[in-house]
Amino acid sequence: MIFREVEDRDLIAKARKGDVEAYNLLVSRWERRVFNYLLRLVANREDALDVSQEVFLKAYQSLAKLDDPGRFGAWLFRIAHNEAFSLLRRRKPEGEMPFETGAPVRGSELLPIELSLAVETALGRLSEEQREAVLLKVYQGFKFEEMAEILSCPVSTVKSRLYTGLELLKTQFCEVKHGL
Amino acid sequence: MGCEGYDWKAYAFGELAANERRDAEKHAVACEGCRQELAQVRLTVDTLAALREEEVPRRIAFVSDKVFEPRWWDTFLRPTFAAACVLAAAIVMHGYITRPAEVDAAAIQAQVNQAVARAVADVERKNADLDTRLTKYYVQSTGIKYQ
Repeated sequence: MIFREVEDRDLIAKARKGDVEAYNLLVSRWERRVFNYLLRLVANREDALDVSQEVFLKAYQSLAKLDDPGRFGAWLFRIAHNEAFSLLRRRKPEGEMPFETGAPVRGSELLPIELSLAVETALGRLSEEQREAVLLKVYQGFKFEEMAEILSCPVSTVKSRLYTGLELLKTQFCEVKHGL
Repeated sequence: MGCEGYDWKAYAFGELAANERRDAEKHAVACEGCRQELAQVRLTVDTLAALREEEVPRRIAFVSDKVFEPRWWDTFLRPTFAAACVLAAAIVMHGYITRPAEVDAAAIQAQVNQAVARAVADVERKNADLDTRLTKYYVQSTGIKYQ
């Protein structure tokens, strides 16, 4: 992680001096994480891809404003968060739900693909804020402090969203496990 | 349900300070409820890990791609362009404020004619004066009246 941070820092310094390939390398290193975060948040592949593109474009245009290159990850996800919620807000008037909220997935012996779908369904039942907190902590491995920076809220709020989300997921996974 | 004062989710995510972590572990040895709570947190996180990470369906455009080129209106927002606009506006304003008064060619010609006429009259007057003085001097010197 430290090694990666040092490399990111180096790439950012080069990109700031106009080294296009350095930024391209940064994109290659972060695009999968950003895309998956956005995919789980906006629940639409094309939208996630479009927003990912926008995130890297905005990050490139604002690279000079990044105070601490060591915190590039949190800064990049802050942009991704803003773009994703901007999209979700635009969607809201149409009453569109990002995830289908049908019956819970059941069965005690799930294949990996089925379990993956079960997790996806369970995540879809969380509120956007709870889901985002789970995504940032469980899948992206950000610290509470970094999450607070990304979401622009206190650590206590971050923990509240995450813990509530995890409790709801725990209940849903128990249902799946026991095949209710 | 774990005991109050022990944050097993923070423990599972490695967010506790070293001393808090040691206290929690010491407590869990003697507390079945907290061990169960921690096991459930870990089970939930492990289950979440079953979600498959997706490949990016197509690559994100690189900086050298067209999508990274600045949009046309961005040109107007560049500091250098804005500074050039301000400078140009300042030059135009300066030229407007300090512009010469409206020029009337006829009036200038009349002024020139008057000045020339005054100069000619002045020269003629000086010549006449000089003639008079020379005549006086000649009469005084020679005693001959000049007719």
